[in-house]
Amino acid sequence: MRALPWIAPALILIFGVVLFPAGVMFYNSTRKISLSGLDQGSVGFDNYVEVFTFPYFWPIFIRTIVWVVVVVAFTVVISLGLAQILNKAFPGRRIVRLAVIIPWAASVVMTTMVVYYGLEPYFGIINKFLVDVGLVATPEGYGWTKNPTTAFAWSIVVAIFVSLPFTTYTILAGLATVPNDTLEAARMDGAGPARTYFTVVLPQLRGALSVAVLINIINVFNSLPILRVMTGSIPGYDADTIMTMIFKYIQNQHKVDVASALSVVAFLIVIVIVAVYVKVVKPTREI
Amino acid sequence: MKKSLRLGAAVALAATASLTLASCGFGGGDSGGDSAGGKTTLDLLVPSYSDNTEQLWNDVIDGFEAENTDIDVKLEVQSWDNLESVVTTKIQGGEAPDIYNGGPFAGFAADGLLYAAEEVVSPETFSDFQDSFIKNAEVDGTAYALPLIASARALFVNNALLQQAGVNEAPTNWDELLGAATKVSALGGGVAGYGMPLGSEEAQAEAAVWLWGGGGSFGDAEAITVDDPSNLPGAEQIKKMIDAGATQADPGSTDRSPLMDIFIQGKIGMQVGLPPTVGQIEENNPDLDYQIVPIPTKDGSPFTLGVMDQLMAFNNDDGAKQEAITKFFDYYYSADVYVPWVQTEGFLPVTKSGAEALKGEEALAPFLEVLPDAQFYPSTNPKWQATDGAFKSLFGQIQSKPAQDVLTEIQAQVDAS
Repeated sequence: MRALPWIAPALILIFGVVLFPAGVMFYNSTRKISLSGLDQGSVGFDNYVEVFTFPYFWPIFIRTIVWVVVVVAFTVVISLGLAQILNKAFPGRRIVRLAVIIPWAASVVMTTMVVYYGLEPYFGIINKFLVDVGLVATPEGYGWTKNPTTAFAWSIVVAIFVSLPFTTYTILAGLATVPNDTLEAARMDGAGPARTYFTVVLPQLRGALSVAVLINIINVFNSLPILRVMTGSIPGYDADTIMTMIFKYIQNQHKVDVASALSVVAFLIVIVIVAVYVKVVKPTREI
Repeated sequence: MKKSLRLGAAVALAATASLTLASCGFGGGDSGGDSAGGKTTLDLLVPSYSDNTEQLWNDVIDGFEAENTDIDVKLEVQSWDNLESVVTTKIQGGEAPDIYNGGPFAGFAADGLLYAAEEVVSPETFSDFQDSFIKNAEVDGTAYALPLIASARALFVNNALLQQAGVNEAPTNWDELLGAATKVSALGGGVAGYGMPLGSEEAQAEAAVWLWGGGGSFGDAEAITVDDPSNLPGAEQIKKMIDAGATQADPGSTDRSPLMDIFIQGKIGMQVGLPPTVGQIEENNPDLDYQIVPIPTKDGSPFTLGVMDQLMAFNNDDGAKQEAITKFFDYYYSADVYVPWVQTEGFLPVTKSGAEALKGEEALAPFLEVLPDAQFYPSTNPKWQATDGAFKSLFGQIQSKPAQDVLTEIQAQVDAS
């Protein structure tokens, strides 16, 4: 009981922003809620049946997995390289390090909007560039954000871009903890740069990397704004992930109940992914 | 033990992160209702029609409050994108606005949330509405909403481009439209013959222009009939236009507003527009050589898509509020207040006195002319909201899917709602 004053704020916070909304969300997912938002009583698990029988559910599910895996994989690989560069002493390093933070500091919606308008036909600067260098044949440009596949691909690019700063800095912090004597020892033993990196540096980054990957998985899975902006005007469900589908249930169909059910499903998926990750990678295991 | 703690921590982290989206649904908001000092407070929730909207409403409210010192009107302006989510959230939280300006209202009426129109306006004001508009606000013979503004659509034609392509007359039927648009598209240089916005912004409008222009309909107050043979000619014609290259690229995912900007820049031969488009052209490209003609239909018979937005009053079980709402509506619809409002927003008036006052307006003339042939969305059908959403999210697929499949899919989503 002596600990209560110390942990009470955390408990209140966990209850207020995690457990209570989760409870309400689950409660809503078992209700029938009218178009205008009135609760019309319990329907058991009918909303879940609707979620799973929706013909596009499995394509959307698979697309969500592709989205998470591709974005996180590219982010981590690029960040490893970036962190390595930023870890070397060179003139102006501080400025470059600051520059890497910019995508993080800027609002995600803003960053995405800039790319979105750049990709617009007729006036987008990226389209204009592609037309000028001859890669796009039509004079008004190509509708990158108007076709599901290209819009989804560009969304991945934007998502990688905005995930880089956090990941790079986490790895950079990890690199700072690699003791110099291990590197020296490797050099003494005649290991080349590649060998040193893969057998000495990388294993010691395990802690930093696993935290970065875990947080990225959760963040990317739950990311709505990028896809919402980039694929928002595309009809049908060929560029949707679970998050944008939740949004469409609320925005277009006014089905708060079904949206809640899908949210619960999404929540469970994240927990499963994280649990599997923790089990397989054992991110907290010491080296 | 330690390991499971860590797993627990990771799960908690996942939970926090994934719940941020889900918990968005709980909007805050002040408690509203009767405030201190015996004043009655009215909450007014409106969408933004233009940059002027907020100022226009503030002027109305200032004038009203000066006359009725015991009533306090609180204004909240939202964008059209958010409007419906905001009002749904408010209703869910038991904080419905007293007065709401929106599109679909039959769902609210079906849930018993609204005052009947005649309960919240004086008989004089009620009889001043144009009959066709008030009829369009009825559910089972009772009007639950007050017409606010109307708009009709017409075809904006870029004369310079048509001449360049060797088309001398603006098209009046589908065959002429297809021919003219194909010729304009053939000019090249990024010019498109017909601007066809089937993107999520307002897919239902462009769909109506074609499906109804071919003799179809979305249904009536009783039944939504999107998947109907009468809608097929229009849908097939859309595909014909797209396949012939008569439209801009990717019509299925092009939104209306940005496309209209491109028409204004002079890169599109023809596009269906609204009364406010006249003002936009005036402001952004006054040199554009254009004319406004009735929308071409299958057989050339006159038709326009009329859209009416409404004011509705939510019943918050408060007699004092009902009285205050009545006073507010009577004040708002008086010609001196209403006409400048409609005129500044560039829409068409819904009151007889308003139409009388705006008779001489040149910019509105082409639209007032087609207004008698206006057909409206079946917005009194409780399923209209779902239909509207289904069109927005699905109709654009007609670009790549067979027309019949798209109509079937929309109908299925409506029926499932």
